[in-house]
Amino acid sequence: MVKLTMIARVTDGLPLAEGLDDGRDWQDAELYKQQIKALFKNLSRGQNEPSRMSVETGPYIFHYIIEGRVCYLTMCDRAYPKKLAFQYLEDLKNEFERVNGSQIETAARPYAFIKFDTFIQKTKKLYQDTRTQRNISKLNDELYEVHQIMTRNVQEVLGVGEKLDQVSQMSSRLTSESRIYADKARDLNRQALIRKWAPVAIVIGVVILLFWVRKKIW
Amino acid sequence: MKTTGTENADRANFPQRPAASPFTAASQSTTPFLSSGPVVGSEAFAFRPAPPNAPQTTPSAPQTTRPYLSSGLMVGSEASGFRPTQPVRYNDPSIPRPPSSFVPPPTGTLQHHPTPQFFSTAQAPPPRTSPGQPVFPPPIRAPAGHVPSPPVYLHSQPQISSGQMGSPPQSINYVPSGRSVPPSSSDSLFSAPRSTLQPLQSAFPGYSSKSPNAVTQPPPVQSAPVFTHQGGYGPPPPATSTPFLAHQRGYVPPPPVAAPPAFYSREQMQHQGSGLPMGAVQGLTEDFSSLSLASVPGSLDPGLDSKVLPRPLDGDVEPKSFAEMYPLNCNSRYLRLTTSAIPNSQSLTSRWHLPLGAVVCPLAEAPEGEEVPIVNFATTGIIRCRRCRTYVNPYMTFTDGGRKFRCNICALLNDVPGDYFAQLDANGRRIDLNERPELTKGTVEFIAPAEYMVRPPMPPLYFFVIDVSISAVRSGMLEVVAQTIKSCLDRLPGFPRTQIGFITFDSSIHFYNMKSSLTQPQMMVVTDLDDIFVPLPDDLLVNLSESRSVVDVFLDSLPSMFQDNVNMESAFGPAIKAAFMVMNQLGGKMLIFQNTLPSLGVGRLRLRGDDLRVYGTDKEHTLRIPEDPFYKQMAADCTKYQIAVNVYALSDKYTDIASLGTLAKYTGGQIYYYPSFQSSIHKEKLRHELARDLTRETAWESVLRIRCGKGVRFTTYHGNFMLRSTDLIALPAVDCDKAYAMQMSLEETLLTTQTVYFQVALLYTSSSGERRIRVHTAAAPVVSELGEMYRQADTGAIISLFCRLAIEKTLSYKLEEARSSIQQRIVKAFREYRNLYAVQHRLGGRMIYPESLKFLPLYGLALCKSIPLRGGYADAQLDERCAAGHTMMALPVKNLLKLLYPNLVRVDEYLGKASSKPDELNISRLPVTAESLDSRGLYIYDDGLRFVIWFGKMLPPDIAMNLLGEDFATDFSRVILSERDSEMSRKLMEILKKFREIDPSYYQMNHLVRQGEQPREGFFLLTNLIEDQVGGMNGYIDWIQQIHRQVQQNA
Repeated sequence: MVKLTMIARVTDGLPLAEGLDDGRDWQDAELYKQQIKALFKNLSRGQNEPSRMSVETGPYIFHYIIEGRVCYLTMCDRAYPKKLAFQYLEDLKNEFERVNGSQIETAARPYAFIKFDTFIQKTKKLYQDTRTQRNISKLNDELYEVHQIMTRNVQEVLGVGEKLDQVSQMSSRLTSESRIYADKARDLNRQALIRKWAPVAIVIGVVILLFWVRKKIW
Repeated sequence: MKTTGTENADRANFPQRPAASPFTAASQSTTPFLSSGPVVGSEAFAFRPAPPNAPQTTPSAPQTTRPYLSSGLMVGSEASGFRPTQPVRYNDPSIPRPPSSFVPPPTGTLQHHPTPQFFSTAQAPPPRTSPGQPVFPPPIRAPAGHVPSPPVYLHSQPQISSGQMGSPPQSINYVPSGRSVPPSSSDSLFSAPRSTLQPLQSAFPGYSSKSPNAVTQPPPVQSAPVFTHQGGYGPPPPATSTPFLAHQRGYVPPPPVAAPPAFYSREQMQHQGSGLPMGAVQGLTEDFSSLSLASVPGSLDPGLDSKVLPRPLDGDVEPKSFAEMYPLNCNSRYLRLTTSAIPNSQSLTSRWHLPLGAVVCPLAEAPEGEEVPIVNFATTGIIRCRRCRTYVNPYMTFTDGGRKFRCNICALLNDVPGDYFAQLDANGRRIDLNERPELTKGTVEFIAPAEYMVRPPMPPLYFFVIDVSISAVRSGMLEVVAQTIKSCLDRLPGFPRTQIGFITFDSSIHFYNMKSSLTQPQMMVVTDLDDIFVPLPDDLLVNLSESRSVVDVFLDSLPSMFQDNVNMESAFGPAIKAAFMVMNQLGGKMLIFQNTLPSLGVGRLRLRGDDLRVYGTDKEHTLRIPEDPFYKQMAADCTKYQIAVNVYALSDKYTDIASLGTLAKYTGGQIYYYPSFQSSIHKEKLRHELARDLTRETAWESVLRIRCGKGVRFTTYHGNFMLRSTDLIALPAVDCDKAYAMQMSLEETLLTTQTVYFQVALLYTSSSGERRIRVHTAAAPVVSELGEMYRQADTGAIISLFCRLAIEKTLSYKLEEARSSIQQRIVKAFREYRNLYAVQHRLGGRMIYPESLKFLPLYGLALCKSIPLRGGYADAQLDERCAAGHTMMALPVKNLLKLLYPNLVRVDEYLGKASSKPDELNISRLPVTAESLDSRGLYIYDDGLRFVIWFGKMLPPDIAMNLLGEDFATDFSRVILSERDSEMSRKLMEILKKFREIDPSYYQMNHLVRQGEQPREGFFLLTNLIEDQVGGMNGYIDWIQQIHRQVQQNA
């Protein structure tokens, strides 16, 4: 069952349209919306993501396709057939490109194509029930292959960026600290040297002085 | 930005002033007008030695309308050497001027003058502050200067004498110290100047009233001064114009500099306009020679001819000076302050007995060509102050080469984001100023980025909850409603996203499945009222464009479906609950059509009725508050889920509007009340109002917040809405017909800023699915003188606040108390004003009030006689009271004023004229009193909510024949005015149509009334003639006298 549908521009994560009364009847809608937004942000950072992917989160699963710099994402129950979900997204994509294709790049405000929600609504209803004849035939249609679409976990996906950040942070900290370490080591070395040879030098100096004094007196 | 720039310049100059000699200092402060600066100095000197001349400066036009006020006082002293100081005070009223700076060396006495003023900020005794005031009004007076009519001179004269009084500053000091003492002490002081200025005194109303000679005397004196003026100025342009320059420099602070002549002339018009009603007064004042009544504080002898009293026959005259001082302010239709001069101290506030606050109408309809500019900061994000979150506005100043901007509200220096950076030109203005409406306009709309959305913009949603019980069917309501909704379907905003749904109810609740694939709707009946459930998960609320055919079928069949219904019960509460359950995912507008007192399930009400015995007791107010907490709870839930409720109450019996109204009150909705609805009579009204409700531009899921500068805070909010936090007004739906009022208070004992800025921001979703922020910004000067506050008062806004406060008061007190509180506040305000000026001018027996408040008593009276507040048990039905109360809580200022003081016009002569076209319709308004009604005439009474057409007894029968056909002799309660085949009838309908177009928010129903036909005449017209004495309530004259008496009692 399709729970949430969102369409966003990949280049900057700007939301373009969203299903109408998505988020009805369940509690954690806000949490998952946040996750979706984070996901979009990740995508907009230009990480090279596959154009079709499924992401598991809690009892649900996100499916998305990226095409023409637009990301179409839907959230379903885990039990919902992957095939149907992706066909749903394909349907949305085709219609969206047909209607708004030319304006996607120039859209300047969020939800610029909110009018699309009626279509989302309509299409969603068609896919709501997996047992209708139409959907069953779609399921059996072998032409549409979804097996190789990767499935990952949301923590993983959202974590990738975070981890990279962490690594680069750590490495930069490492460089600066090692530099400090090197400086300190050099300093210590010099001090050790001084400490080691200073008494000897003093003694020698004194001896030479004595010699010199004796020579003068005599 | 030029204005801020100059403002700053002024500010910068102030510190220097004490050091510099007074005149140069003055000229500095007025750099923009420098040219005239030095001249003024010389002028002042010229006058100085010859005190009698002093007054002569005053005649120089500008001050004319300024009355006798002590304002004159200032003028006088000013003339004798101080003129240049004027600007100082004005520009910067809040700053206690360094007194030393003004003091012209020679005038020893005058030296004191500034000092008290200085103190006043701290102690604020009334009269002292006055000296500074004169500064302000000039814009108003100025026009008079252009008009070389005799009255002008008359006006100016009072000042002459006041000028004399001004010079002895001690008198000023005494006045506040003890109210009883002052007369004598000030007297003695005044007497001195009097002796020297014999001829001029006569000009003063107090004296002159007795000596007709005085009238003749002043003119020569004046003319002379005018010449001296010219001399002083050197280049001799028309005498009047020169003084202007000097004045402008003084009062008009920085901005309007650009085109002063233009707005002065406008001023002039306005002035003349407002002066009109006082024409009679002037005639009367001729007896008093110098008593200039067209001037500000009119003075009335008790028992005067009623014609003399001021009447707002020109409708609502907004104070203009405000807008002129700050041309970047938003238009007054969006924001009106009760006084455009903010007091600088708490003590001053406490002496301003009127409400201090604002009335906001965020979506007021703009006339053609004045659309609000839309700004999209797509990538930059909206520019706001980091700390106080103020939106970028014209008063923000850019510094540091354009890299920083200073917030005008909290003065924090913010960084300009890179994308928004623009260089500053030599004047410190951004070079891209012309392409930035947000920096040049007081009202703009921003496109909100995603951060301003909790969810995607909702679609416009209309959900109808319709009573189908027997009375609803019988009265014809069902049919009218169904037809109207159907006719509006094409015009509902937000196509193609608009959602629509229906529920009908009697003793059970009927849901309708409107799925687009159906050919006709399926009805589902739920009879379990205790445990309401929604029978279908969706399809109860459908997309209109998809299910259009089903909706059409439903609306067509609705009336016939229930035509045989004999159910008399009403499960109103459960029906609302059900509607709420259907709607709460999206929010939207719920329209409830209710015809029977709720009798089943939650929220059932009983006939608590209009109990005669309760009136006058402490329990009286309980009738006006909801009985069942269900309604308030429901309203709170609705607001939370962005649902606005509009209640259409059409019952012929008592339906407890007090309870039902709560739903509308807290959800930002509206109550429409049609007592004893009969489709044959009220059809048009319901149709028009429902259509307007459905089709007008509406803002959805909005929140409104008003911000203001440091030291000032909005404390209470009044209107139909719910507060989400202390200062966030939640409005599930707003439209142009709703206004909200708020009161402010000073947080700090002393304000140090010179200007207070206000910003109203409304974040909303438009019907087209865009999230927007509408921002209105306005600035107002801070003043240290009470007189200034009065001068800048806005009667309309004050009355609007009064009205809301009084109606709120009726919810916890008796009507009587609500009325007397209005009266008390007016009395207190006038008393305070009187204390400012009366003593100096010896207006013992006269009534003094500021020009800006001349209509206040009349509107106050009208308010006391308005339906929610009038009389007692017998004067208005309880439901009517409550409905009117709810309506008045939401009305914008202009509509409210019209409701309070309706238009009364005579049309029979116009109808009789053969050739006149409606375009030439130029009918003057008449005072709303029975005396205006001539039994040979035909009158239209228009209060914005209805028309009453009054047929005089002696009206030529052919007119009535022409208008009403054969119905003219029958009982008017059954006659419906419709267009007939005659020129006259067409003309009349034309007029009515025009009137309706002026005020489209309600449909004005025609009530035909024949003179002497009781009780109809009494009910529709006579009780509403607010100037007359009706049923134990005062007439206008009595009211004025009563107020006057009370003002004097403790003065």
